Amino acid sequence: SIPTSAGADTEQLLEEQHARSVLRERFLRCLLAMSNKKVHFRMHEKVNVEATFGASDIDVLNFQVSDLHTPIGVQKEALIRCHDVISLTFEV
Amino acid sequence: MQCGWLQSGPQLWLSCVHRQVMVKAQGEEHRGWLLTVDPVSRSVVLLDLRAEGASVRVVMGHAVEHVEVLQEADQETLERIRSFFVPQETLSLDP
Repeated sequence: SIPTSAGADTEQLLEEQHARSVLRERFLRCLLAMSNKKVHFRMHEKVNVEATFGASDIDVLNFQVSDLHTPIGVQKEALIRCHDVISLTFEV
Repeated sequence: MQCGWLQSGPQLWLSCVHRQVMVKAQGEEHRGWLLTVDPVSRSVVLLDLRAEGASVRVVMGHAVEHVEVLQEADQETLERIRSFFVPQETLSLDP
């Protein structure tokens, strides 16, 4: 997590915390909208995989997915390390 | 603003929400309307509006190299962007 600005006055701190909470809530709602959807992952080394999105852990370090279509077969359940992912897309 | 994106704080990120941005990550460029930036992972969420519906792209924070603000949204686009991921009404606890 990114630390809040050190030495800032209270008002500045409140504004920053408000901005963080608005941004974080929007991100969590986006993750919620993603659950049970087909998600396309772009990973390092030009690897592209598709899976049904399940959930993310709180620090966004791992994604839990189902039916992961990999170049060597389909994995029924899997955890994807977020650091291996460059971007992911889904339709709404 | 552009080069300091990763170091800049949540207030600047929030001020860029609903604007069209270009995100560079691992040699690829992605354009879209900025929905949010996760303050924990710094992941950037972009919305690509279609005639019907939209495509959402999440660029993971560790992969983001460069972010550039391109333009503001007009009123119609703004309303469409705002209509995504709105919270459902909170259930009233009054009898």
